[in-house]
Amino acid sequence: MNHEKKIPLIRLAKRDGMESWKVWCIRCGSILFALLLGALVMALAGANPVTAYGTMISGALGKKSAIRQTVKIAVPLLGCALAIAPCFKMRFWNIGAEGQITAGAIAASYFALFWANRLPSPVLLLVMGLAGAAAGGLWALIPAFFKAKWNTNETLFTLMMNYIIIGVVRWLQGGPWEGRKGSQIIPQFDEAACLPRVLGVHCGWIIVLVLVFFMHVYMNHTKHGYEIAVIGDSINTARYAGMNVGRVMMRTMFLSGAISGIVGFIVASGANNTLYDGVAGGVGFTSITVAWLSQLNAFAMVGISGLLAVLSKGAETLQTRMAVPTSISDIITGILLFCMLGCEFFINYKLIFRGAGRKEARHE
Amino acid sequence: MKKFLALLLSMILALSLAACGGDSGQPDPTVDKPAGTQQPADSGNEPAESEGKTVKVGLICIGDENDQGYTYNFIRGKEAATEALAAKGINVEWVTKWNIGEDSGCEDANIELADEGCDLIINNSFGFEPFMLKVAPDYPEIEFIACTNQASWGDNLDNTHNAFANIYEGRYLAGVVAGMKLQQMIDEGTISADKAVIGYVGAFSFAEVISGFTSYFLGARSVCPSVTMKVQFVGSWSDATEEANAASALADMGCVMISQHSDNTTPATTAQTKGVFHTGYNNDMISVAPEASLIGTRINWAPYFEYAIESVANGESFDQDWCHGMDMDAVVMTDLNEAIAAPGTAEKLAEVEEQIRSGKLQVFDTSTFTIEGKALESAFALDTDGDFTPDSEEAVFDGAFHESYFQSAPYFALSIDGIEWLNSAF
Repeated sequence: MNHEKKIPLIRLAKRDGMESWKVWCIRCGSILFALLLGALVMALAGANPVTAYGTMISGALGKKSAIRQTVKIAVPLLGCALAIAPCFKMRFWNIGAEGQITAGAIAASYFALFWANRLPSPVLLLVMGLAGAAAGGLWALIPAFFKAKWNTNETLFTLMMNYIIIGVVRWLQGGPWEGRKGSQIIPQFDEAACLPRVLGVHCGWIIVLVLVFFMHVYMNHTKHGYEIAVIGDSINTARYAGMNVGRVMMRTMFLSGAISGIVGFIVASGANNTLYDGVAGGVGFTSITVAWLSQLNAFAMVGISGLLAVLSKGAETLQTRMAVPTSISDIITGILLFCMLGCEFFINYKLIFRGAGRKEARHE
Repeated sequence: MKKFLALLLSMILALSLAACGGDSGQPDPTVDKPAGTQQPADSGNEPAESEGKTVKVGLICIGDENDQGYTYNFIRGKEAATEALAAKGINVEWVTKWNIGEDSGCEDANIELADEGCDLIINNSFGFEPFMLKVAPDYPEIEFIACTNQASWGDNLDNTHNAFANIYEGRYLAGVVAGMKLQQMIDEGTISADKAVIGYVGAFSFAEVISGFTSYFLGARSVCPSVTMKVQFVGSWSDATEEANAASALADMGCVMISQHSDNTTPATTAQTKGVFHTGYNNDMISVAPEASLIGTRINWAPYFEYAIESVANGESFDQDWCHGMDMDAVVMTDLNEAIAAPGTAEKLAEVEEQIRSGKLQVFDTSTFTIEGKALESAFALDTDGDFTPDSEEAVFDGAFHESYFQSAPYFALSIDGIEWLNSAF
């Protein structure tokens, strides 16, 4: 009995392999659980949960114009999730996508503002995209270089880089690129510098879908992708196999930053048609969730970013139609993400209760 | 392990059933009464049966009413207009979007309100206009208003509108109150004539701000000839800490009167802490600084909202560029703090107000100020080629600079003698 007391009520043990139908049962269960918790929140806020969920869905997908807006929200999320996936695979914690997006947007905006009447539109857009990619890539290369050379902490480094570049945009907004004096607003781009619309949404959605395929192939069917996976599993193994870890890190971060930079170009040129300090708008952080929920699978990211976009657009409609504060929808989104990420715990670990443990031991 | 899995799944199931039960019990009252969350819609429907006209109006706000400043002032206008229109038999169903950014989110908000069937959509912030203009051409049957901005006279669209108020009139009056207090201090020997210095906390060196502090200064100087002013820009429309810092620095530089063009009440509270006086903007600040705050001025949006919504209800077109002041109560003064104001202020205030209403007094009378020692003889009002420098419409005539005459948004952006800009980086 004395021995019994020392055993904690619940113990954790790693699970090795669970049948995939069970895994999906747990995942679906967690979503269901999250939706029910969300319903409770809505009920507390005074809205009928059934109507509220209905409003969110119809608000996000019920009309052509609604779908267009939802897609517009999903595009940067997807693009940025694709960008950070290789870093995370490598266990390089790049939380500086926000800044890399902004850097790309600045470079693209430079050409949009000062080269619009010198280049034909398709060339201008191409130059803007390339400039965005280069700027985002270089901005990401700085922390990667320090990590590779002196093993600095990349989490802090990339995070701090965000604030610097956002400060640069603030300076541009109030200084050299300002439109009307004192307005802190950079003028809208010339039409030639705006991404054309395809099916009613700026064609950034086509660019990110192409990137989905590119990233899938890059991560799974190239030597680069293999190197990233090995470094992610064990840096020592990678070294032993003769890989130049620092070089791979810098190369991967440049690629990651470049894709973020392209996202910055898409947002500035396609959605806002101007540059301002909120150009990244938290996408660099939200996309981390998208990447993890998708378990770094490029195709899964399409679905997850779509889901988040539906929630976000639905939240706006919910506020419009039922006067539910958008913060309530943020809570619901938070609950959903928490449950979806949290359920992975139950997939990877099992809980052993005191009594159950004894029984199991006896069986064994 | 299988047992545990079964247990876990059944737990989730049980929980979900329990939660379901709870929900299905709860919705019943909410189904009957969505009014709890949708008061405007409900109160709009009741009289509709007897009268008939209902207008659905969308309002897009950069903040929410908790700011007690800019957006709160719009909400006051909205509520007053709704009441006034109800008396005329017009019911307004408001759909309000809060905390919208000056980016493509604003475009989405306009689209969403248009799709919800709004007849009129009001954008409350300057930076909303470019995004509103992307949506307006697609919905020619809906009227769009961009408050405080200026594109409608030149955008070739029939359904876009701008509106502002002659807030410089209110500023001038607040300046008169401040000037009387300063003159009283000089007369009583508290300060010498050359120490009558006003400190002004400005957001940015933006025409609206410059126009505001210049009219305020001219009002003060009309009753206190020796007054001078220092302006400190804080680089934000709303940053409570920076505004307090600026007010504090100004007081330390010897300013004995603080005023502001920024959203927070911290300049008022700082003035009180520093033992100097203050006049406010957007809101009555006497409650937060009873020993410092003399008076405030604010735009009253109700007359414009009433006018625009009534026009829409009657199917009439309305001004594309609307700007009125005290003549239509679009600019109002908050309560005068009689306990600390100079004696005779209320009477003087009424007198000057009457002169402004009748047009006898021009706020930017060119005989009352100089620029680098010379009288102002010419200044353009409008920018027609898009380079952000005014290039057409002569604003100086009949002995005064005519502010908000050619377009509603202020365009007085000159630096006059007597006002020192401490930093023009913003």
